[in-house]
Amino acid sequence: MNQEVIDYRELAEKLIQKCKNKGADEAEVLIETGRNLNLEVRNGEIETVEESSSRGVGLRVFWGGRMAFSHCNDFSNNALDNTVAAAMDYARTTTPDENNVLPKDEGATPVDGLHDPEIAQTSMEKKIELAGLVEKLAMKDPRITKSAGARYGEGESETIIANSNGFFKGYKASACFYGVSVVAEKGEQKSSGGEYCQRRFFNDLETAEKIAEKAAMDAYEMLDSRMVETQKASVIFAPDVAPAILGGILGAINGERVLQGASFLRNSLDKTIASELLTIIDDGTKPRGVASKPFDGEGVPTQKRVIIDEGVLKGFMYNTIVAKRAGVKSTGNASRSGYSSLPGIGPHNFYVAAGKSDPEEIVRATKKGLYLKGVTGYGINPVTGNFSGGASGFWIENGKFAFPVKGLTVAGRAAEMLNGIDMVGSDLDLNKSFTAPTFRIDLMQIGGK
Amino acid sequence: MRLTSDFIGDIPRRKFLQMSMKGGIALAATPALMSQLMSCRGTQDISEDIKMDSQLLDKTIRRALAKGGEFADIYVENRVSREILMEESKFKSAVFGINQGAGVRVISGDKTGFAYTDAINENNLLRAAEVASYAATGSKTTPPVNIHEQERASFISVQLPLEGIADERRLEVMRRANQAALDYDPKIKMASISYYDEIRGRTVANSEGLLVSDALPLLFFIVQALGVGEKARHLSRERLSRHSGFEMFDDVTPEDVARRAAREAIAMLEAKDAPAGIMDIVMQNGWGGVLVHEAVGHPLEADNIAKKIGAFTGKLGKKVASDVFTMVDDGSLPNMRGTTNFDDEGTQMKRNVLIKDGVLQKYMTDILSAKQINQERTGNGRRESYRHLPIPRMTNTFIDQGKDDPEDIVASTKDGLYVQSLSGGSVNPITGIFNFTCREAYLIENGKKTTPVKGATLIGSCLDIISKTDAVGNDLAFGPGICGKGQECEVSAGQPTVRIKGINVGGSQARRRS
Repeated sequence: MNQEVIDYRELAEKLIQKCKNKGADEAEVLIETGRNLNLEVRNGEIETVEESSSRGVGLRVFWGGRMAFSHCNDFSNNALDNTVAAAMDYARTTTPDENNVLPKDEGATPVDGLHDPEIAQTSMEKKIELAGLVEKLAMKDPRITKSAGARYGEGESETIIANSNGFFKGYKASACFYGVSVVAEKGEQKSSGGEYCQRRFFNDLETAEKIAEKAAMDAYEMLDSRMVETQKASVIFAPDVAPAILGGILGAINGERVLQGASFLRNSLDKTIASELLTIIDDGTKPRGVASKPFDGEGVPTQKRVIIDEGVLKGFMYNTIVAKRAGVKSTGNASRSGYSSLPGIGPHNFYVAAGKSDPEEIVRATKKGLYLKGVTGYGINPVTGNFSGGASGFWIENGKFAFPVKGLTVAGRAAEMLNGIDMVGSDLDLNKSFTAPTFRIDLMQIGGK
Repeated sequence: MRLTSDFIGDIPRRKFLQMSMKGGIALAATPALMSQLMSCRGTQDISEDIKMDSQLLDKTIRRALAKGGEFADIYVENRVSREILMEESKFKSAVFGINQGAGVRVISGDKTGFAYTDAINENNLLRAAEVASYAATGSKTTPPVNIHEQERASFISVQLPLEGIADERRLEVMRRANQAALDYDPKIKMASISYYDEIRGRTVANSEGLLVSDALPLLFFIVQALGVGEKARHLSRERLSRHSGFEMFDDVTPEDVARRAAREAIAMLEAKDAPAGIMDIVMQNGWGGVLVHEAVGHPLEADNIAKKIGAFTGKLGKKVASDVFTMVDDGSLPNMRGTTNFDDEGTQMKRNVLIKDGVLQKYMTDILSAKQINQERTGNGRRESYRHLPIPRMTNTFIDQGKDDPEDIVASTKDGLYVQSLSGGSVNPITGIFNFTCREAYLIENGKKTTPVKGATLIGSCLDIISKTDAVGNDLAFGPGICGKGQECEVSAGQPTVRIKGINVGGSQARRRS
């Protein structure tokens, strides 16, 4: 839905001035506007159409070393005045801290391909058709008995950050995705599967055939699954389960958690923490990357950083305040989940670098083990390094998939798991933002019968 | 330095907060509509204004049904929130938020059209109605009934209204919790105290003639404590949350919450690796109910039942659990975190017995799924905000009180795992496969709770565990949580102490077999 056009530079400058007039030493304005479309198709019929646009403003104020934040989604003068007053009022409640500062202007990293103007130009019919097609193709396999629905979604947003150090910067971004979830049934057995594809550009979306095939396979290949005995064996992580490993590492390299001692990697900087086959990268600059951006949630330019280099931990992640406290420079990792949130610390495109092994070769080289296709739970605990999850996938015997397994658990400690990585695949898909190629851990505890 | 201020801008604070509750800053933009809608409960002298606003709501609903459709509703929301974080004994940040908007929905058969707007005025409401109406294009219109205000019983009582609480009192409960956690044991090196409160004003109007509104207060208080031992570290968590006034902290003190968190952090420093494999578990009363919330509750939400893909499809009236298993969802329990006066579609909250003595009684519905499966509306139509469609969600969900003495349950378990608390879990509602992560657990050896063990995953399938529940205690208790299902909502989960025979535990240690 249309909203009246606003000059955001003028608005941002006005808000910063209002904060200063109320006594703020420094102030920051974050403005976000966006629109969304969501379509759901089930059994060939359009089931849900959701359309919306929204916008909001977040104000961060600093007063005598104290920091407070307020947000609102009403752009009338009166509402904005009250939002300024609320932030200033709340600044009186927090504790002064010399580290409470805003970044200086260091420009922005040029990143190509964040916004696709074509998405909005593409007709609604085409988008509905795409969701309908992917569902139809996924249902083609006779083992697939029901559709849990196909979905198409898109969003466009504009993010603007200005602060009293004199900068004003913004960018437009887009994203679109589609995919389908299906159910395979055999007697009393039920197995669900799904596949989705997300891109910055509409024309970069994968074909419906490819998505449908993967969704159907994801469901039917888990029929007739079994349990195995409790034992130690090799575990191969498929690319889709990479977050199980990456999430805990991410929590443990959060600069603030490190300072607080709440990280299993707190004493590991420049030390070997993993097999030399493991390299992890955080990249905010990749063209068309789904998590790329020219600057972070405070306006600090993004970069491409090696976090773990051939097993050696090279750095933690920081936003401006935590970096000042640690005596380092912000790494451009201030993360925000919208105009209503304070800057935290988070990644951009965060991934395990590709290795040399053919993924099929990794399976062939495994005498006995688990090919992990699905893992549930919280992954590695960032404080203790403890890992435990529910597991499903395939049991491998003599280098071949023997049968599907589910209802198992896998567990271990981060140090042993990371050092136990003995093969890394070449199959990295950088269209995803939180991902890894196939990799193998030599030995893990598997819980079963 | 004055920590509290009586003023926000030029408006006296108390007045400002009163207005916030009624529609807050929306007053500035939309003087008539929001303020009156949010305050229409219990006041008689503004009936003329309500009538005027009702006319706009009627007009919006008529526009929504202009192209076809059998049902339309409009949901108007205004949320004023405060969030303060204390870490390392410092008040690190304070956040004040005001969000408002309205969502318009049209249902035609199985089709739903939905649109929302942030700015609440006639133009935007009618435009949202227009966008939502496309989904129903060409279908037959069920003529809307003009709305009239309806009364709903209230399950939320307030003695100390949040809008009358000075910020200094919020800071004070946080300081007290921080101190109590640090004082508990020198091994507690850090506490993190998170305070959140909000007042969510809601108005729901629909084409069946319904008009209801209220303002829900919510408090959420979280204490985390970092225990540091010679070899181990543990970050614990304890939460307290209610739909109530500030008197919540008289009932359960900040010190109580902090000491519980600190106790866990210290106890778990001695934890050994958990065993792996299938074992009997005893789950302590309280938040452990999240197990049935996930494993049984989600699969009983009617949206997947209507799609005929849910794990409990076709099982109504059938025996699905052991005789000792009765499960309830009750959104009318006074002041609890999952309680509201009516759901986000305006349906009255009530006690719904889902499984009685092992037999499946009903599914949890919203308006759409109730129609699709031809069942009553159970008051489970909930939404995170005006930006989300209502979907079937749980409220306060629990295994009902049993007859067993909790101590006997442990004593009669030869070997197993005693799960004192869970972090949380998830379920695939189609296959019913669930997982949970233990926060605090102990081995049971020869009928006694012994060594603490590290956070292990528990996994299994929903139909399996409810038939394997063989002992249910007489000590029903609840815990607060956040439930995510594409959108978040506040819930409670509860249970008495229960025993489940044979569940797969994901420890990192091969199990000693006796």
